[in-house]
Amino acid sequence: MSHYESPLRKPLILQDKTLHDITEDICRPIEQKPTKLWYAAFTVASICLVWWVVCVSYTLGTGLGTWGTNKTIGWAWDITNFVWWVGIGHAGTLISAVLLLFRQKWRLSINRSAEAMTIFAVICAASFIVSHMGRPWLAYWPLPLPNQFGSLWVNFNSALVWDVFAISTYFSVSLVFWYTGLIPDFAVLRDRAIAKNLAPWRKSFYSIVSFGWMGTAKNWQRFEEVSLVLAGLSTPLVLSVHTIVSMDFATSIIPGWHTTIFPPYFVAGAIFSGFAMVQTLLIITRKILNLEAYITIYHIDMMNRVIMITGSIVGCAYITEFFIAWYSGVEYESYCFVNRATGAYWWAYWSMMTCNVFSPQIFWSKKARTSVALTFVVSIFVNIGMWFERYVIIVSSLHRDFLPSSWSMHHPTFTEVGIFIGSLGLFFVLFLLFAKFFPVIAMSELKTIVKSSSTQAKKYQKENVELVTSH
Amino acid sequence: MSNNKKYWKSIEDLQDNPEFIKKQMNEFAEPIPFEALTNADAKGDDTSGTNRRDFLKYMGFSVTAASLAACETPVRNVIPYVNKPEEVTPGVASYYASSYYDGNEFASILVKTREGRPIKFEYNEKGLVKGISSRVQASVLTLYDSARLRFATKNNSEIAWDKADAEVAAKLAKATNIRIVTNTIISPSTKAVVADFAAKYPSTKHITNDAISYNAIVKANEFCFGKAVIPTYKFDKANVVVSVGADFLGTWLDVPNYAGAYVKNRKPTKENPTMSKLVSFEAIMSLTGANADYRFQTKPSQYGAVLVTLYNEIAKLQGTPALTAIATEYTKEIAALAKELVAAKGKSLVVCGANDVNLQKIVNGINVSLNNVGVTVDVDNHSNLFQGDDAALEALIAEMASGKVDAIIINGANPAYTNKAFAAALPKVGLRIATADRADETASLCEYILPDSNFLESWNDFNPSVGVYTLQQPTIQPLGKTRQFQDTLLKLAGSTKNYYSIIQSTWETTFGAKGELDFTAFWNKALHDGVVMLTPTAGVSTSSCGANCGVGLSEAATKIAGYKGGAWELVMYQKNLGTGTLSNNPWLQELPDPISKVCWDNYITMSPVQMKEMGLTTLLEQESKMSVIEISVNGVAMKVPVFPSPGQKTNTIGLALGYGRTLAGKVGNNVGVNAYPAVKFENGNYSYLNINTTVGTKEIDKAIVATTQTHQTLMGRHIIHEASLAEFKNDPKAGNDRDLFVLKDGKTVEHKTAQEMDLWATPSLPGNERPNHFWNMSIDLNTCLGCGDCVTACNVENNIAVVGKDEIRRGREMHWLRIDRYYSSDSSQETGKAGMIGNYLDMEIASANPSVVFQPVMCQHCNHAPCENVCPVLATTHSSEGLNQMTYNRCIGTRYCANNCPYKVRRFNWFRYTENEKFDYTMLGEVERMVLNPDVTVRTRGVIEKCSMCVQRIQEGKLKAKTESRRPIDGEIKTACQQACSTGAIIFGDNNDVTSQVTKAKADDRMYHLLEELNVQPSVFYQTKIRNNEGTKFFAEAEHEAEHEAHAEGHATEAHATTEHHN
Repeated sequence: MSHYESPLRKPLILQDKTLHDITEDICRPIEQKPTKLWYAAFTVASICLVWWVVCVSYTLGTGLGTWGTNKTIGWAWDITNFVWWVGIGHAGTLISAVLLLFRQKWRLSINRSAEAMTIFAVICAASFIVSHMGRPWLAYWPLPLPNQFGSLWVNFNSALVWDVFAISTYFSVSLVFWYTGLIPDFAVLRDRAIAKNLAPWRKSFYSIVSFGWMGTAKNWQRFEEVSLVLAGLSTPLVLSVHTIVSMDFATSIIPGWHTTIFPPYFVAGAIFSGFAMVQTLLIITRKILNLEAYITIYHIDMMNRVIMITGSIVGCAYITEFFIAWYSGVEYESYCFVNRATGAYWWAYWSMMTCNVFSPQIFWSKKARTSVALTFVVSIFVNIGMWFERYVIIVSSLHRDFLPSSWSMHHPTFTEVGIFIGSLGLFFVLFLLFAKFFPVIAMSELKTIVKSSSTQAKKYQKENVELVTSH
Repeated sequence: MSNNKKYWKSIEDLQDNPEFIKKQMNEFAEPIPFEALTNADAKGDDTSGTNRRDFLKYMGFSVTAASLAACETPVRNVIPYVNKPEEVTPGVASYYASSYYDGNEFASILVKTREGRPIKFEYNEKGLVKGISSRVQASVLTLYDSARLRFATKNNSEIAWDKADAEVAAKLAKATNIRIVTNTIISPSTKAVVADFAAKYPSTKHITNDAISYNAIVKANEFCFGKAVIPTYKFDKANVVVSVGADFLGTWLDVPNYAGAYVKNRKPTKENPTMSKLVSFEAIMSLTGANADYRFQTKPSQYGAVLVTLYNEIAKLQGTPALTAIATEYTKEIAALAKELVAAKGKSLVVCGANDVNLQKIVNGINVSLNNVGVTVDVDNHSNLFQGDDAALEALIAEMASGKVDAIIINGANPAYTNKAFAAALPKVGLRIATADRADETASLCEYILPDSNFLESWNDFNPSVGVYTLQQPTIQPLGKTRQFQDTLLKLAGSTKNYYSIIQSTWETTFGAKGELDFTAFWNKALHDGVVMLTPTAGVSTSSCGANCGVGLSEAATKIAGYKGGAWELVMYQKNLGTGTLSNNPWLQELPDPISKVCWDNYITMSPVQMKEMGLTTLLEQESKMSVIEISVNGVAMKVPVFPSPGQKTNTIGLALGYGRTLAGKVGNNVGVNAYPAVKFENGNYSYLNINTTVGTKEIDKAIVATTQTHQTLMGRHIIHEASLAEFKNDPKAGNDRDLFVLKDGKTVEHKTAQEMDLWATPSLPGNERPNHFWNMSIDLNTCLGCGDCVTACNVENNIAVVGKDEIRRGREMHWLRIDRYYSSDSSQETGKAGMIGNYLDMEIASANPSVVFQPVMCQHCNHAPCENVCPVLATTHSSEGLNQMTYNRCIGTRYCANNCPYKVRRFNWFRYTENEKFDYTMLGEVERMVLNPDVTVRTRGVIEKCSMCVQRIQEGKLKAKTESRRPIDGEIKTACQQACSTGAIIFGDNNDVTSQVTKAKADDRMYHLLEELNVQPSVFYQTKIRNNEGTKFFAEAEHEAEHEAHAEGHATEAHATTEHHN
């Protein structure tokens, strides 16, 4: 691969890895038995998943009365979790699509995991769409399917229908994009399984999933074309999905929801939370799978910058909302925001402010940005903060809207909390399975930025040649 | 071989073909391909055969098909009539005129039956009251109550009626002291039956016991006017009404009559801007106090002082002798009030709620001196209700305790529940017979229970007041082996007549003598109408209080002067449940109290200021429990939760009667605390005011109290439009500012309504025309008293699920119609000094003596409905007649519509209420379910529901009009809520009909839309509330002083509130 080697830029991959090293490093965890750490994590995640199954089954069997929602607060943890999960997914798309188009090569070490995270997060999000419905067995009704019920059609005015389109498009494009990237790497695993004569299921499994990839020039050409097309398709989705999710609120009339600032603010928030989740996952992954050479401090630094910037954008949005609430002169709006910061849910609001606006400001310092431990802590903070952001928007706006007679409070039940924690279990089970059986770094793409073709080879050559001549 | 004939089957047979003969030996002409069927390797020989795989496929298919067919929902057959009864057409309701009387309340009703099942009561047009109370409406469920006995019992085991009759009659024959205890009997025929029984058993005495007694009024009237009666009060003829602790708009005496009459004089119009004035002196916040123009917080021990002072002030103005003065805290106000009363002489009314003969004598003295007797107080055309004699009951208890009584028959009353002494004495009676419909607290102490039939299964007649006669007819066969009380008495008296014939003969004697010649025709008409009214005689005006009156009044005043209250005073009052007879009724249990909005409980009401001082929790919230304290009254200790009640007089508490039943049935058992033991026999009557109560100051426990409204104040929002009468006189639009949008363009300032600011011109929008009908509803906040009768009507009509206390406190009541109750607050963003945030916190605190408003809120049927756009599946849509419709079948339950509803009127089915064991109220049991209205879908789990404006009634009315080839007439179609409202606050009709009442109401200057600024263009609108409280300067000054006091108290509150909020 013909890369210009800038003498100024630091290499994106450390420890002078060769092409072969990359293959070895990334395939090794897949081909070996899982570590104890993996087993421990998988056990915890599976327990959570079982809890999720129990709580969801109870809800489906008994009714939504098992949750803490009421006549005033129709949505609480359910939609909070939905938006939170969808938001988390955004980083994957941003990294794989937008950064691809902008030729940000540093994304190559992280895009695979980020995309996987997207897929799993959207699965979790979708589970909340279904489980929050009163009659989830009719969850297909918001799809504009031809039917025999008469001239029944969906309501194209409803933001929820837009949501259905947005999320389903997002999920399918992300899935195809992710899978396309996986094909050459699966082929590598297949070839290694055959060459090393590994377990038969590996041979057949990776043969099937690699779709007969031969690595021919034509294969590669089509691969590149498809990737580019999908990147082009995904890019608008980065903006559209959370824009539309935000319209669930923005197109309503509830003070605190009815806000034109929501689309950009939600998109920024989604990227913010997505990057935080990527940080959380990758810091763990690079440690467990020994991938420090690939997911470097540089990557962490870059992502921290994104977190800092999007966090500040979100902070600006919070302040703007307050300004507009006062400036509009609408009493319901003014009250809503005063109540948000000082009312019964003040703790949620200030948790959100602390986690989302104040905590990322530490990344103005390079020392903080490049500290793995601190990054991990802040990334968890941001995850929590962004959950609270959605909770604040949804619950604190609903709980005191127009008529004081209906004002109420929301108290989550065991089931409601169980479904949220369980959804984390679902996510991590999927992610751990992914980390065990799929290449967590896009090997073949990563190889395009390895400088071993030059520096390392030259070095090797030099050493060996010298050795030869010395004889 | 005589016969050479040869029979053959075929040519082959005839020819004796050898191959044929060979084949003939085989049963089957061709071999069955068993091989092919069973042998997997069958190949070649029989290509068309079925192989094993196919066999398995077929078998698999058949088994699956068979099992799928078996999975079908079990078929439940509807069996048609073989011979259709003349009066029953499936799908069409029949109405029967009847009467309701439960010892506490009388109503002329129409019973709506569907396919032979009574399902709803509506008021009888021919009756006095044009509305129907919650209790009467909900009582239809008593018919289907599973707690009712289905057969007679002796010592809790079934006994045949014949056997029971024989045994009881034999025992009665030996008895020497027989007593019959009933509630007030207003039935002339029942009285005749009791008299017959007494004739057969001469030792019989009949004692009347009302659960809640008004005996003091009767006694005072006997003393003053020589007539031992409850007078008819005519609130419509009074321009100034003074109530001293009498909740005549809530639960006092004959409320449905009073409420309708009271509002007649409360409807100011542009042409005639006058209305009556209501002044209330009371301790607890009652519906009357909440609706009063002036409300003075008064301790129960001061009621007498207020009355005496008022008497003296009136006497001073009229130059008549005064009584010994007693000091009150409202001297100035009472002086001003006396002036008003004297100015409205002959057109005023003073009533008092205390069951104390001394107080009632003073009341009579005041009404006499104001020339009200014969005008607003009619003792001639008196009421027949509440004839209970307290002293007689006390005497009976003494007799019973001494073992003198050897047989007792109890009907209608439940004295073992309302009177602990009675319960203790009852086992000493030899023969105890109860005729209750269930084994209640009294009946369970009796040897024999001879269960009375439900009133919907029985005949009866009533004479509720002078000149009013009504009939009660059965509308269903008895559901169990029950027999109505009167027939039981007849049987025991050895009579062969049945009660129906007794009624007829009573009526023949009563009306036959009045020139009704053809009795059969008269009877049929009376039965059809349900009511017969005689022309009332004119009330006789009495200007003096009888001969012994003067002395009597000063004696009474002297006694009143001796009433000294203790540290705490207790007021026992009634809530939706009334006296407790209807405790097992889930509709009533779940109907929020009009003031506190609490369901499923009684509790101590206390001033929130005082609660904070005592460290009791005042936070209303679904997870927060209320403090429980112990009170000791009349020697009885009770542990009761405390609920904040703004407007409650300091150092007084209130506690509702009618709760704490132990044997009412599965719904009513152990709900709340029984307060009857606190009732004391004092001054010859049962007193519901205890002026010496010990109240524990410490929280001893915590308990959940479920309320439907946790926030009390308006928060400065423009939700209720109100004005004073003086303002209304100047400008009929007073207080009704609808031009909310101010446009400033340079120097010009323009005011516009929300609709004028609409970006899209509404009428030109396609689909927004209402070519046929445009259903609208007007709610008059001025005549709405907040009672909640409309809520019950809605619940009964629309099959609304009862969800129970635990769900209520989670904010999940299903009521389509609710009544919001707001208290005024002393603070506002304009006047508050605590800064924006602090002001908001202050605005959450109700005033110490707040003014109260009620606002019924149901689906507003917005023509720009926010719920309709957001539904992803079009489950909620708009009809061309302006109705916001809900398609339950299409709803998937995202609850987006409920979130986006600014009025929060949409209700979600959190559970499958019809099948979930937790909700064993009106929809789970097979018998209870019979009460459901077949015209309204019972909603399943997971769908949203809300007010449909009784679309089933609209449809019925339209169809009726269509079959008669005409347009529906205005007023012909009534919603359930409108029909129940005895004050006529709700008007429903077609806005396209220019002459309709609702169209006129829409054009009224007082009309406004709730949350008009949102421009959702509701089809429901409200009329401004007008208060008559700026009449005299003095009253204004008095108000001002009270305000000062309230401010001082309010500030104390502030500090507490702030700390609580930050905790």
